[in-house]
Amino acid sequence: MTLRDGEKGKGYRVLDVSLGRAAKIRLEALGMTNGTTVFIMNKKRNGSMVVKVRGTRFAFGSGIAGAVAVEERRED
Amino acid sequence: MAEELQVGFVGNPNCGKTTLFNAYTGARLKVANWPGVTVEKKEGAMKYHDHVFKLVDLPGIYSLTSYTMEEKLTRQYILESDVDVIIDVADASALERNLYLTLQLIELGKPVILALNMMDIVEERGMEIDMHRLPEMLGIPVIPVSARKRTGLDILMHAVAHHKDKRKDNNLEHHHPEKEASRHRHEHHDEYTVVYSDEIEDKIDAIILRLRSDGKVKTKNYRWYALKLLEKDEEITAECGLDLSDIIDRSYETDIINQKYDFIEEIIEECLVNKNKKAAVTDRIDRWLTGNVTGLPCFLLIMAVVFFFTFTVGDWLKGYFEAALDQVNAAVSAGLEALGAGEVLQSLIVDGIISGVGGVLTFLPNIFILFLALALLEDSGYMSRVAYVMDSLMSKLGLSGRAFIPMILGFGCTVPAVMASRALEDPKDRRRTVLVTPFMSCSARLPVYVLFAEMFFGSAAMPAAFSMYVIGMAVAILAAFLMHKVDRSGGMNPLLIELPEYKTPNTRTIAIYVWDKVKDYLTKAGTTIFVASIFIWFLLNFGTEGMTQDMSASFGASIGRVLAPLLAPAGLGMWQIALALISGLAAKEVVVSSFAVLFGISNINSAAGMTGLAEILAGYGFGALNAYCLMIFCLLYVPCIATLAMIHRELKSWKWTGVSVLLQLGCAWLVSTLVFQIGSLF
Repeated sequence: MTLRDGEKGKGYRVLDVSLGRAAKIRLEALGMTNGTTVFIMNKKRNGSMVVKVRGTRFAFGSGIAGAVAVEERRED
Repeated sequence: MAEELQVGFVGNPNCGKTTLFNAYTGARLKVANWPGVTVEKKEGAMKYHDHVFKLVDLPGIYSLTSYTMEEKLTRQYILESDVDVIIDVADASALERNLYLTLQLIELGKPVILALNMMDIVEERGMEIDMHRLPEMLGIPVIPVSARKRTGLDILMHAVAHHKDKRKDNNLEHHHPEKEASRHRHEHHDEYTVVYSDEIEDKIDAIILRLRSDGKVKTKNYRWYALKLLEKDEEITAECGLDLSDIIDRSYETDIINQKYDFIEEIIEECLVNKNKKAAVTDRIDRWLTGNVTGLPCFLLIMAVVFFFTFTVGDWLKGYFEAALDQVNAAVSAGLEALGAGEVLQSLIVDGIISGVGGVLTFLPNIFILFLALALLEDSGYMSRVAYVMDSLMSKLGLSGRAFIPMILGFGCTVPAVMASRALEDPKDRRRTVLVTPFMSCSARLPVYVLFAEMFFGSAAMPAAFSMYVIGMAVAILAAFLMHKVDRSGGMNPLLIELPEYKTPNTRTIAIYVWDKVKDYLTKAGTTIFVASIFIWFLLNFGTEGMTQDMSASFGASIGRVLAPLLAPAGLGMWQIALALISGLAAKEVVVSSFAVLFGISNINSAAGMTGLAEILAGYGFGALNAYCLMIFCLLYVPCIATLAMIHRELKSWKWTGVSVLLQLGCAWLVSTLVFQIGSLF
C-alpha cells in the first residue's frame, strides 16, 4: 500500500520512496527514511494529507503521498 | 586593532533564524514562514568586546545537498568564503529534524555552534534537553537561546569569540555498546561526530587514500569529499575527475542519510526527556483551520476580516491624512503667493506635486493595515496552511497548493509575490503562477477602487471594492485553468510544505516587516510617483504652443485621443482616462493622482474633491457603470513597470514576458468590455 491509501489518525512505517532522485533525497533529508513512522493527521478526499514525521508536520500532495510505500504500524 | 570575524547563520526554515539575526543586527529583513524567503544574502555587523562580527544570514534550508538553489548557495558560501564560525540555529521543539542539517554542517569542517532556539516552547511542553550530553555527542558547543525573548544572546556571541579557532573539539564521547564489538580497522568514534557502517567507513578510507595520492583535490577535509563522492554528488564528482568506480559501485546517498538519522535517534533517545508529554496546541488549532469541512470557511473568514479592517479602519485613519493634506495645500499656496512665485511654479507645486504625491500618500493607512495583516498571517504560521487548504482547488487547475501563497502575497504587492513563485519546483508550475499572480489585486490598486467606489457607489462602496478582489481571483483561476487545459502535462500533485507550529507573532519581526513595506511605499511616492506627477503635469499643461491653460490642447490630450477609441467599447472612451491609464504603468496609484491633476482637483479624496470630480465626470456621461469598468480595467491591466521587470527576471524570457503583457491587456479589455456591454443593456 502507499501512504495515500492510509487512514486519518493511524501510523505507518515507510518502506520505500519511489520518486525521482532529487525528490526522494529531499523527503529522506526531512526524516522520511525507511522504517520511519508517519502519522496521518488529516486527509482530504483528493488524497492530499497532513502528516507528522519525527515531530514535524508536513502537507503532502496526493502525488507525494502516492509515491511512498508503507505498511501499517503494528501496535506494540 | 579590533579583530573581524565573519559569522554565518544557517538553519531550517521556520526555526527563528532570521528573528535571531534581527535581534543582533536590527537589520530590516523580511521574516516569514515561507521557505527561501531570505534567498538574498543579508549582512549586518555588531561589536562584541574587542571583536567586530560580520553577520551573514543564509537562506533557510533543510539539508546541504546540491539539489536546490538555496542549498547550493549555502554550501558554496561555507566552503569557499572566509566564514570563521557557523551558527547553526535549530528549533529545539523540533530537534530531531533540525539535527540532520547540524550533522551535515559539522562534516563540512568549519567551526559550528549549535544555537538551540525556542527553548521557551520546549519548557512549556514539559520537555527537557540534556544540555550536558548533547554537546558531548555532537562535539560542538550548544547554547540555548530564545530569539523572541532575547535570552542567551550574549552567551552565544561569547561562544563564537572562543570557538572560532577550534576546527575540532575533543570532547566527543560516544557510547555505542553494540558497536564496540566492531572489528573495523579504524576507531573513529573519538574523531568524528557521525561514524558510518564498516562498509562505508572502508570505502571512505579507500577514497581518501586515492585522493591523497592523486593530489589534485586541495582540501583539508578529505572525509567530506569522500562522503560526497559516495553520494554521487554531481558537482564534487566532476571536480574530482578520478575514476573510482571500483570503490563506488552505486550511490550511497540513501545509506548515508539513513545512518545519520540512526545517530540522531540515538541522540534523541539520550538527550530528550519527556518527549510528547503535552499534546501540541497546534494540533488543536489545526483541527479547525485545516479541517476538511472547516478549513475553507475559516480561510474565507480570515480574508474577509483582513479586508474589513483594511477598508474600515484604513478609511477612518485616512480622514486625518486628508485633513492634514488640505492644510498643507492651503499653507503652501499661501506661502507661494506671499513669495511672489510665478504662475508656472505655483501650478507645478500645487497642481502637479502636492495633488499627485499627496493624493497617493493619503492611502498609507490602508496599505499599512493590509501589510500588517499579511505579516501577522505569515509570522503566526498560518500562511503555509493556506497551501494545504487550497490544494484541492489548485490541483484541479493543475497547480500545487503552494502556488496559492504567491497569489495571496499578490494582495500586498505583485513584485515580491512574483518572486515568491520561486519556491515552486516545477518550471511550468512556476511560469503559470507568475502569469496569473498579477491578477490578484495588489495594494496599489486599492486607491483606485476606494476613490471610484466611494464616488459612485455610496453605501455600496465596500462591496463594490471587495468585488474587485473576487473578480481578480476568478480571472486568475480561470486563466490558470485554461492554461492547464491547453498544455496537459504533469498530473501528479507534488505539494510538499512544512506546517510550522503556530506561535504568537513577534512584535519586532512584524514591525521590521511592515516598516520595510511602508518605507517602500513612501520611497515610491517620493520617487516614481513624484516624477510621474511632474511628467503628467507637463503633458497636461504644455502643448505645441507652449504652456497652455486649455488642457484639451495639451500633448497629453493628443496621446489620449489616439487611444480613446480603443477604450470606447469598455465605456472608457475619454482621452483623460486613456492618459490616466498610461500613467498608471509607472505605478497604479498614479491613476488616482492623474485624475486629480487631469481634472484640477487638489484634494481628490476629500468629500468636496470627490463631489467635484463626480460632477465633472457626469458631465461627460461617465456614470457608475463606467466607474465599475474603470475599476475592472485597473484591476486587470499591467500592474506596473516594476512587476514587468520582476516577471522578466523570474521567467528569464522576453517571449513569456510579452505573453504576460498581452494576457493582462487582453483580459482587462475583454472583461471590462463585457461588463460594460452587458451592463448597458439594462
